[in-house]
Amino acid sequence: MAEIFWWVIFPYIAFAILILGSFYRYAFRGISWYAPSTEIFEKRWLRIGSTFFHWGIIFAFIGHVMGILIPRSFYLSIGVSDHLYHFFAILGGAIPGLMVVFGLLVMLVRKLSIPSVQVHTTFAEYYTIILLLLVAGIGTYMTIIFNTTVVAYEYRATIGPWFRSLFVFQPQYQLMSDVPFIFRLHVVLSFLLFASIPFTQLIHMFSFPGRYPFRAPQQYRARDGYKNSRP
Amino acid sequence: MQKKKNKLLHSLKHLSWGNRINDGWTEESPRPRDWEKMYRARWQHDKVVRSTHGVNCTGSCSWKIHVKDGIITWETQQTDYPSTGDNFPDYEPRGCPRGASFSWYTYSPTRVKYPYVRGQLYELWKEELESAGNPVQAWENIVSDPGKREKYVKARGKGGFVRGSWKDVCDMIAASSIYTIKKYGPDRVVGFSPIPAMSMVSYAGGARFLSLIGGTILSFYDWYADLPPASPQVWGDQTDVPESGDWYNTKYFIIWGTNIPQTRTPDAHFMVESRYNGTKVVGVSPDYAEYDKFADIWLPAKAGTDGALAMAMTHVILKEFYVDQETPYFMEYAKQYTDLPFLIILDPKEGNYRTDRFLRASDIVSGEEHGEWKTVVWDETSGKMVIPNGTQGHRWDQGSKWNLDLTAADGSTINPKMSFLADSDEVAMVEFPYFAENTGGKVQRGVPAKRIKDVSGNELVISTVFDLMLAHTGVNRGLQGDYPTDYNDSNKPYTPAWQESITSVKKEHVIQVAREFADNAARTKGKSMIAMGGGTNHWFHSDQIYRAILNLVLLTGSQGVNGGGWAHYVGQEKVRPLEGFSQIAFANDWVKSPRFMNGTSFFYFVTEQFRYEYDQDEVQADWGGKYANMHPADFNALSARLGWLPSFPQLSQNSLDVLREARERNPDDQAVVQDIARQLADGSLDWAVENPNDPRNFPRVFFNWRSNLLGDSGKGHEYFVKHLIGGSDSVLSDFEQSWQPETINLAEKPPEGKVDLFVSIDFRMTSSGLFSDIILPAATWYEKHDISSTDLHPFVHPFNAAINPPWETKSDWDTFREITKVFSDMAKEHLPAQEDLVMSPLAHDTINEIAQPFGKVKDWRKGEVEPIPGKTMPNFNFVKRDYPNVYEMWTTIGPNIQSGYGTKGVKIPGERVYNDLLNRLGTCKREGIGKGQPDLYSDKQAINAILLMSGATNGRRAVEGWKSMEAKTGKTLRHISEGREEEDYTLDALTIQPRQAISTPVWSGLENDNRRYSPFTVNKEFNIPWHTLTGRQSFYLDHEVMLDYGEGLPLYRPPINKGPFMKGETEVENKEKSLTVRFLSPHQKWGIHTMFTDTDNMVQLFRGWQFIWLNEKDGASIGIKDNDWIEVYNRNGVVVARAVLTYRLPQGIAFMHHAQDRTMGVPGNTITKKRGGTHNSVTRIYPKATHMIGGYSQLSYGFNYYGPTGSQRDTMTVIRPLKEVDWLEN
Repeated sequence: MAEIFWWVIFPYIAFAILILGSFYRYAFRGISWYAPSTEIFEKRWLRIGSTFFHWGIIFAFIGHVMGILIPRSFYLSIGVSDHLYHFFAILGGAIPGLMVVFGLLVMLVRKLSIPSVQVHTTFAEYYTIILLLLVAGIGTYMTIIFNTTVVAYEYRATIGPWFRSLFVFQPQYQLMSDVPFIFRLHVVLSFLLFASIPFTQLIHMFSFPGRYPFRAPQQYRARDGYKNSRP
Repeated sequence: MQKKKNKLLHSLKHLSWGNRINDGWTEESPRPRDWEKMYRARWQHDKVVRSTHGVNCTGSCSWKIHVKDGIITWETQQTDYPSTGDNFPDYEPRGCPRGASFSWYTYSPTRVKYPYVRGQLYELWKEELESAGNPVQAWENIVSDPGKREKYVKARGKGGFVRGSWKDVCDMIAASSIYTIKKYGPDRVVGFSPIPAMSMVSYAGGARFLSLIGGTILSFYDWYADLPPASPQVWGDQTDVPESGDWYNTKYFIIWGTNIPQTRTPDAHFMVESRYNGTKVVGVSPDYAEYDKFADIWLPAKAGTDGALAMAMTHVILKEFYVDQETPYFMEYAKQYTDLPFLIILDPKEGNYRTDRFLRASDIVSGEEHGEWKTVVWDETSGKMVIPNGTQGHRWDQGSKWNLDLTAADGSTINPKMSFLADSDEVAMVEFPYFAENTGGKVQRGVPAKRIKDVSGNELVISTVFDLMLAHTGVNRGLQGDYPTDYNDSNKPYTPAWQESITSVKKEHVIQVAREFADNAARTKGKSMIAMGGGTNHWFHSDQIYRAILNLVLLTGSQGVNGGGWAHYVGQEKVRPLEGFSQIAFANDWVKSPRFMNGTSFFYFVTEQFRYEYDQDEVQADWGGKYANMHPADFNALSARLGWLPSFPQLSQNSLDVLREARERNPDDQAVVQDIARQLADGSLDWAVENPNDPRNFPRVFFNWRSNLLGDSGKGHEYFVKHLIGGSDSVLSDFEQSWQPETINLAEKPPEGKVDLFVSIDFRMTSSGLFSDIILPAATWYEKHDISSTDLHPFVHPFNAAINPPWETKSDWDTFREITKVFSDMAKEHLPAQEDLVMSPLAHDTINEIAQPFGKVKDWRKGEVEPIPGKTMPNFNFVKRDYPNVYEMWTTIGPNIQSGYGTKGVKIPGERVYNDLLNRLGTCKREGIGKGQPDLYSDKQAINAILLMSGATNGRRAVEGWKSMEAKTGKTLRHISEGREEEDYTLDALTIQPRQAISTPVWSGLENDNRRYSPFTVNKEFNIPWHTLTGRQSFYLDHEVMLDYGEGLPLYRPPINKGPFMKGETEVENKEKSLTVRFLSPHQKWGIHTMFTDTDNMVQLFRGWQFIWLNEKDGASIGIKDNDWIEVYNRNGVVVARAVLTYRLPQGIAFMHHAQDRTMGVPGNTITKKRGGTHNSVTRIYPKATHMIGGYSQLSYGFNYYGPTGSQRDTMTVIRPLKEVDWLEN
């Protein structure tokens, strides 16, 4: 029963909160859709922490796509052996992981130690940074320490298929039963993080200006449409 | 109705794509734009209301107040001022960052929202009311029991307010007032509210109440030391100065101790623009002040030595433009508009002469009406002495010759002789006072003189003021005596070289500036101007400093000329609609003779500062010293008894009882007057001024409104706290070591906590509020109706309510109406109508000003004269006090208006005004004695009444005023304002757009044809005399006391140089390094007095809280760095603040900007371990006896007009680092 909760019910609840919460905030709390900046109070440390964190998290995201969403069979079919995969996965995961952890630590210390930044930091921000730090710290630990000292765990056989099965609404929760605890903790905390997105400044990730390059250079409005939409 | 949109779907439209054309280059965006609403709404508002700020900054700027959803959001500057005409800079827009931050107060944490009462008092009141049953008895029970009284008096200043109801607090105020009136007399109910011009109706509300009940109304202009006593001395006028637009007309502008860009921010642009127009600007200041930035030359005269600099410039101008080469324009001007040609009697004294009084008509002929008040010149044409028109005697005689025409009685033209140099009978060796090196010093110089025979055959030696001025200032014309050789003679006064060691200004610069100033005036016929202010005025010898500077504008014919003359800016003292205001504010429409009391004397005695007086100047005796060596309190008592200064409380006995008892004994008014005069003479009645420690003479109920008396203007703050309030003080001086008066009856120990009930009315919490017993919540300037005016521009600005007064606040007008109502209702039971004796001094601009001829002091107590009320002692007025009907009188305009009214000798007929008032204000329909009178219930009615009754705002009144002047002067004047006779300003009219004031004889400037206001242009262009003894601008003052002080002619007197402690006093133990400096408190940039210093914006523009500026080397010498905490102390008290170190200030002086208030960031001091201190904790006042002279022409008392000033700038303090900052939080 616990297995069903952790690997079926909890992930769906988290996704539901993420999706509905984000829409709600978009529609009804539009003005709050931002990541408040404290750059005006302190620049130097922010520049270091924020840069490391953001570049690290982008590469970590790509790594997760490569490890979880793309099936093992695909790698085998293009001739990437398990050994070769793990070699690059550990190397390619360690560097972004360390960047993320370092960036987060800098940002956290900055928030705690600089008074003007401290007074402008909300609970949600501490919560976000600490949760991110846990998730990223465990992930980096798994990649660097666990993989090299205990076993190079083949998550592409368990976590990957389970995760993909959630999207086709055929959750194969049994796959998770033998996964090492540290990996399971990483997954659960990650879903907690997903559920937190609508309530924190993490929401700003959706404002990534992905559409901008495809926007028509000239914009105009029909007069009637404009009249009607005017408040 | 529009269908309600689905918000989710609507917002998702932001994600949609639109139709593309032009090969995809163009898209028709379907994405909604309602997000833009937030940005648009940010600056949207529901309405804009015209109002202004009732703060004493002289700005009086019109503002737009923006209101949104019923909330005051922000203010912006009004831009609709009428143009000043072509080729001239405009007034719009006006304002400064301080005013722009005002809307913060409306909803700020410092806002007083409800009536508050000191908790201990409220508890007592509730208990006593319960047991006594009636409020007057309840109050008596509280204050007559020392234990109960002390309970709340000792709690003052220590928090503990509880919220009260309006009804309860009004009951307390009414009961305490009624009890005080019955027990001690109405003059023990006292009110202080300053500067009516900044919000006239709010001032009038309280003053009207006090006037009706016979309470004492305190003056402020002299108390603030903003009144320049030199102005009444020289011109017989309180203060009259050019509006700021006139700066643009000047061609040579000396700015001398007034920080125009910093403290006259909205007006400073005229000075800058005049520079573009070719005007030369000279700055004089000890520090590199903000205005020196605009100056072409900066003369860094040491603090307090301005008089020396001005005397040296006088020397240069007299020598080069009068003696070496006569300047025709200057000579003509001097002959007609100054007292330079008038004849002075020389008094033989020990082989030498001294200057005595003016020669009078009564000396040379008999039978001339008021001959002892008519001064005499020597006519060059006829070679005889003649009596020119326009003297004080002409003003009060039956004729119509009160003008400056130089025609003799037979119609021939007079050519007044300036000097007897060419045809003197002898060269008289005259002693002149010279006090720069030691007080009482003198120099002997030869003066050309004539010998004449007076009416009784005695020989008199006479000279002219001009000849005496030349000798006094050391301009050598080849006469014997102690004259300097040339400009480079540094030992003899008053050469440019002589001043160098005193002021540290280079002599070349002095010569250059003086020469340029006069040369410019000669070429432009008087367009040379000097702006002066607090930096030169707040000194003990302010009058001498000012007279020395005024020499320059008088000798160059610049006064009474647009673009020329003095420009004194200190307080916002000009109430343009003066005639109407005085009637409404002082209830002259119902009762006469309000109890006007000069603030300086009042506070000097009430705060016991007279018992901590510095020791005497020992050397004055060399010169004279009969009066100069009197203790100021003794002189003040003399002054009160001779009818010079007012003195309220007046008698130790209750004035109601005195009059009732005298009435019972005597058949008629005349006999009653004689009876009371006799009682005073034989000592059966006591003067309150001689018994200030008698509990009967304490001020019992004190109203403080529109003012932060204790945190701002209470010079000698710690004495206020100790003796008036009874709170915890930090007085460090010892009265037993101090100079004590001889004629004043003293208690063994100076009494403390004198006031029974201290009421403050304010919209924000200040130091005054913290020490009060009751605080009433006032409406702010954006929540009431009122009017404001200033010297600096010609407009009268309205206040309008942008929102209704929020919470339980009320406008000052409504507050006093409530108090009056409760008072009247309570009086019906406890205080019947009765008659009151008001003893008022010999007043300026009334026939009393010629009461005491020749300016000789005659004391009736010593038997030198008979005690005659209105002649040798104060006037006795009998006033009916109809206490049960005070409310009916307060809310209506009384019948006295019908018989005419006026001010400064200008009379306006009353019938027509009265009918106009009935029409405009409506008729009162409330039952009682006010029924049928013009209704004065609301503030709007009061505003319209004031505007209708005054010449500046009503053309008809202006013309009527000019007509009333025609009879006395024999001049045609009505045409001055006839073109504007139809103009009639109302509150609504002024709210639509600012309007320029109309020329009226109440003021001395001309404003027709868009002309800029400049004082005394009326006098100069229409030959109207000044209100002085000679009718001319005065260089010479011949009163016995002036001569005793050596101040007959302007001279340089150094600032007082007393140490921080007196001999014999226990000094503060000081092991650390410390520094003794002169402590100055000029005005600041981040507030107007304490106002605005606590707004978020102002606190952030500089450092916030209290700070003191010091030279960086001075700072280093005691080991402090910028922003360190320091402790500043002397015998008067101690204040803790942070240091600002700067190279901008010279060494040896410290600036603690005036009034930063002690409500925020005030740690404890290490000396008394008490919290606090303000800039006034280390100051005290130094009253000067020459300001107390009265009953003598222009040296006669007027409310805020003449009287001792509360000068405080001669203070020395010790500064030391504060190592440990203790916030006293345990």
